[in-house]
Amino acid sequence: MPNAGTLTINKLNKHYRVKDKDLHILDNVSLSIRPGEFVSIVGSSGCGKSTLLRLIIGLEADYQGDILLDGKPISGTSLDRGIVFQEHRLFPWLTVEQNVGLALENSTLPADEKQRSIQEHIELVGLRGFEKAYPHQLSGGMSQRVAIARGLVNRPEILLLDEPFGALDAMTKYKLQNELQHIWETEGITMILVTHDVEEAIYLGDRVVIMEPRPGRIKRILPVDLPRPRNRLDLDFVRLKEEILSEFGIDQQAEEEELAT
Amino acid sequence: MASLKDKLPAIDPRGFVLPLLLIVVWQAVTSSGWVDTRIIMPPSAVLSAGWKWLNSGLALESIGASLFRDASGFVLGAAAGITIGLLFGTSKLANNVFGPTFHTLKHISIFAWIPLLSAFFGRDDLAKIVFIAFATLYPVALATIEGVRSIAKSQYEVADVYGFTPRQALFRLILPAASPQIITGLHLGLIFAWLATMGAEFLLASTGEGLGMTVIRGRAAFRVDLIIFGMLIIGAFGMLLNELATRAESRLLHWRGHAR
Amino acid sequence: MSTIQSLDKPLVIEPLASLLPRISIPSLGNLPARFGRIGLGIIFPLLLLYLWQIATERVWLPPQLLPEPAFVWETLVDMVSSGELAGHLAVSLQRVLWSVLIGGSIGLAIGFAMGLSKTAKAYLYPSFSLFSQFPVIAWSPLMIIFFGIDEALKISTITVAVIVPFAVATYKGIENVPVKLREVGQIYQFSFAQTLWRIALPAALPAILGGVRQGAMQAWLALVFVELLASSEGLGYLLVYARNLMQLDVVMVCMATIGLVGLIFDFALGFIERHFSRWAPKGR
Ligand SMILES: Nc1ncnc2c1ncn2[C@@H]1O[C@H](COP(=O)(O)OP(=O)(O)OP(=O)(O)O)[C@@H](O)[C@H]1O
Ligand SMILES: [Mg+2]
Repeated sequence: MPNAGTLTINKLNKHYRVKDKDLHILDNVSLSIRPGEFVSIVGSSGCGKSTLLRLIIGLEADYQGDILLDGKPISGTSLDRGIVFQEHRLFPWLTVEQNVGLALENSTLPADEKQRSIQEHIELVGLRGFEKAYPHQLSGGMSQRVAIARGLVNRPEILLLDEPFGALDAMTKYKLQNELQHIWETEGITMILVTHDVEEAIYLGDRVVIMEPRPGRIKRILPVDLPRPRNRLDLDFVRLKEEILSEFGIDQQAEEEELAT
Repeated sequence: MASLKDKLPAIDPRGFVLPLLLIVVWQAVTSSGWVDTRIIMPPSAVLSAGWKWLNSGLALESIGASLFRDASGFVLGAAAGITIGLLFGTSKLANNVFGPTFHTLKHISIFAWIPLLSAFFGRDDLAKIVFIAFATLYPVALATIEGVRSIAKSQYEVADVYGFTPRQALFRLILPAASPQIITGLHLGLIFAWLATMGAEFLLASTGEGLGMTVIRGRAAFRVDLIIFGMLIIGAFGMLLNELATRAESRLLHWRGHAR
Repeated sequence: MSTIQSLDKPLVIEPLASLLPRISIPSLGNLPARFGRIGLGIIFPLLLLYLWQIATERVWLPPQLLPEPAFVWETLVDMVSSGELAGHLAVSLQRVLWSVLIGGSIGLAIGFAMGLSKTAKAYLYPSFSLFSQFPVIAWSPLMIIFFGIDEALKISTITVAVIVPFAVATYKGIENVPVKLREVGQIYQFSFAQTLWRIALPAALPAILGGVRQGAMQAWLALVFVELLASSEGLGYLLVYARNLMQLDVVMVCMATIGLVGLIFDFALGFIERHFSRWAPKGR
């Protein structure tokens, strides 16, 4: 499989200036990701996960430190690096299939190939029959699934996923997790998944990166040395989950309270 | 989607009271002999004069000429307006350099341009069309600027991620995203264009045919029947254009759904 | 709801300026940036002026069509110091003032009637909506027949132009007073007058003031038109008169004056509007 190079993040720092005040968002983040690796990132709300993904995808140019792909600094966005945004960001004036097709706008595939691929991915996320629907006719979860299809359809070499399954029901979520894993295994895409769901992080990841807030930094990186397909009820799985949850301590509780409000 | 029929509640007969009353009073006043019927004509006289005019072939020519001017001016003005709007909306530099002049000139009420335009372009179709285009340009340009500025950064980012060329960004993102405002601007421009068509025909009435000219000549000849009938036709076409625009608007923007 | 919908855009020819994003009071922080921008904004007019100067010097166009900038300036100074401009301006402003007063009252009355009473709306609304779609200036020939070409013509034509924006704004303002607020009035057993005075009017005020601004802009538009059409004094008259003598310098001075007055109207009324809608949530 043709793969992207190694993604190396080295002493990455990110600041935002808000009204003359300096906000330190990411503090010395260093992480190296092998081609074809699946990395999960967990961390409390506001700790800079989305910001990290925005930096890797190339939407933010103002940072300190290095983001290297095979030793070369990334510059701007590229079709080799795809993203599923935290909010679905569908274009409201395009139908589902047109939205998915956006990702193939600049692909060299012949038209019928494109159409087939679009259809395949719409079916993959379980939206057959909604090809001609507009975003305002979809539920939040359905929109999110269209966004996932859009992220996958052009087969980037690195795919960043920002809480892609957040708005989905449990059944759909399990199904899409498996589909994602399948695509990852067969296509050798490097995937970086941000999630609030620790179970999901372990189920999919080769490694789980735990981040902590203010300023956002990496607290711990845990390898997941469990054979795939993984069993969520497996003893090692559960032990790992408890270990990660304990890392959060009261943070996790605070977040649940935050979610509850 | 929502045509006029769907929007209006079941027709309420009370709405007819006022217009009927007007016609009755009008008829009563004119047949009572209180007024000079050469100045205030009975409704029947207006209708018969109108009928004659419609059958004379002159009507078709007038209406055709007016609609031609309206359409030419509108198309030119709309194209220029959208171009200017896109330029100002997307380029800070263009906006800063030309914006102040553009926004200052807009305060000159449009009819004040007519004398100057007539000095340059004469009093024929050219001057009229230039004027109509000018009247269309402003609402379209202002709406386009607003539309382009309202595009969220997050949507530009999607275009970035998928490596859109500037051309793709224009046709795939900027134009459709700004289309609600642009279409509203075009609608407004259409109303303005019709107003300007009539204004130009009233004020530059020297040659040719046109609805406005028919009316203004009717005034010179004290043909009140023709004036009133002409006014009704002008109003009717205004409403027709408006209704067409409303329909086109809801059809083109169906992707927004009802709730926004 | 449905009826408000149909009253939405098509009815009123919104003044162009209302489409503009609102000017905001600049904070002191970005003063240098603002100066930079103003500097940029001045380049283009200066360039035009320079081009104009060159064009007149090299006589690209006959001086009749394109008078020298200095000559136009002289004309302006002359017309200001002789009081000629002020005289015509005063006539025009008076016409607008009367029309806004008369048309505004009628418009407010119609708007209040339609907004407050379902019965009044049933009688008035269809006719009004028909009336409002007529291009204002289409009335003028009829007005000339009825009123001659004197003061009454101008006032009546401009008045017609003012009624619609006033009435629409008032009607919509009152219709859109949230039911929740009206219910508060019901709970406290407000009388009709109290409901009107304490709830409907204040809640609708921003919309009504928006209507005032639109009305004034429409009045200015209609004034120029009707003065161009038939008049013996006023800015519009001066425009036609000068145009017929091919004194384009005077034409330009008149246009500038008309623009300046439009600008002042817009800013002043916009300021008042914003002042009285401070409590209203921003954005639409
Ligand atoms: N454009 C910006 N300007 C200023 N501050 C920002 C900006 N974008 C993000 N931030 C701040 O950066 C911090 C991290 O934001 P980020 O969106 O990366 O969090 P996150 O980890 O993705 O949170 P969540 O799990 O809720 O999505 C937050 O405190 C946020 O307020
Ligand atoms: Mg996030």
